[in-house]
Amino acid sequence: MLRSLIILICSLQIIVAVFPAAQAQQRWGPFEESEDFLVQDREEDPRESDESFGREGQIPDPFEPLNRCFFQFNDKFYFWVLKPVSKGYNTAAPELLRVSIRNFFSNLCMPIRAVSCLLQGKITGFGEELLRFVVNSSAGFLGFQDVAKQALNIEMRDEDLAQTLGFYGIGPGFYIHLPILGPFSGRSLFGWAGEQFINPVDYFFDSWAFLLSVRSYDYVNRASLRIGEYEALKRAALDPYVSLRNGYWQYRENKIKE
Amino acid sequence: MYAGASPLPGSKSSSRPLGVGFYLNKEVCMAPRSLFGILFFLVIFISVPVLAGGPTGQIRETSDKIIAIVSDPDLKAPARAEEKRQMIRQAVDERFDWEEMCRRTLGRHWAKRTQEEKKEFRDLFAKLLERTYLEKVEGYAGEKVLYEGEDIDGRYAVVKVKIITQKKTEIPVHYKTIKNGNQWLVYDIFVNGVSLINNYRAQFNSIIVRSSYEDLVDKLKFKVSED
Repeated sequence: MLRSLIILICSLQIIVAVFPAAQAQQRWGPFEESEDFLVQDREEDPRESDESFGREGQIPDPFEPLNRCFFQFNDKFYFWVLKPVSKGYNTAAPELLRVSIRNFFSNLCMPIRAVSCLLQGKITGFGEELLRFVVNSSAGFLGFQDVAKQALNIEMRDEDLAQTLGFYGIGPGFYIHLPILGPFSGRSLFGWAGEQFINPVDYFFDSWAFLLSVRSYDYVNRASLRIGEYEALKRAALDPYVSLRNGYWQYRENKIKE
Repeated sequence: MYAGASPLPGSKSSSRPLGVGFYLNKEVCMAPRSLFGILFFLVIFISVPVLAGGPTGQIRETSDKIIAIVSDPDLKAPARAEEKRQMIRQAVDERFDWEEMCRRTLGRHWAKRTQEEKKEFRDLFAKLLERTYLEKVEGYAGEKVLYEGEDIDGRYAVVKVKIITQKKTEIPVHYKTIKNGNQWLVYDIFVNGVSLINNYRAQFNSIIVRSSYEDLVDKLKFKVSED
């Protein structure tokens, strides 16, 4: 049920994406960072073509007004719902427990990372993910403890399908800020939808209501460990919406390069 | 934690947990009793100029200086808070190339500014970064800083650092520096692969394109004046 809903959203996104995304690049181009200030200002230096000089462009955002609405909604959602709920939850569950629960869910998502490694030809990563799963599921008490990292120094590979798509040169499409779920690119939304098929959590439960509660619990648990980050972003930013969009974009592009 | 200015400071893990300043205090208090003490003193003083040569050495020097300030028990008193901030500000100023930072954050809008506007912007932007930065630094709780190497390319260099928080979270931080005389000055900080300057440029550009440069200045003024 949940899966078909996601597929529906994604197919809509793709239909909308394919047509305007290509034009959006040009339409929104002039608004974005131009490089010519370099030439006016100082002699050209090839080393200045780095990320911090604005040659990277920005993610097209043709639906900015709608995205800003959702951003405002999420802002309220964070301060009125998520933060109070997390605070209550934090008093009930010590941090160590919350970290363990996050580890448990992360361990279950191993197939997503392993498949993404494999599709990108990162054979070592694939092997490490399998090994981590075996070690953590047994010695790490069903994945609550990340012994593979602590004892064997094998870190989790932060790979997903969207990065795999990026690895093969598929463009990001455009930026979309969804209610509750937060920032996505067309590409990452597509990847995320694909992941619903290889996410084992979804196969454990037949009832979508129960699945939804498990997913929500994972969401709140993760959020409870990151309270304060959004406030920091908001405090440092002149325009939090643009700051988040840019931060998300830089972070994702960087992940694909790795 | 990840947004805004990075927590620049940190100790050097293993043998020198609080930086040079800590040892100096200790040595002064105890007076060099033994030959070992004197030798230790000499080693510290000799090693500083050697380290100071490269970009990593210079970043490390500044980090240690700031750590020493925030960990100094004498400066913990609330009455000396402003003095402490001033000291941190000075240490940061010495290591940051504000002009270069501003040029990069305004991008193509920089060349259109008059000298006065440039100076005003420089002051406001420095205040904005300092505000975020000072708060992070003052919340310093023994995070470790591991220096993981540097890439030098002509007059540009990247210093790679990993900050390990008390919760054992690793935050990769890259300092982009540019050489000015024999000083390597920071012009951008990447936290978790996100460039601070790039992030501000996106915001500033969006505001200027949407309304005007004057509006940006007003927003900056408002931002630095709020608590």
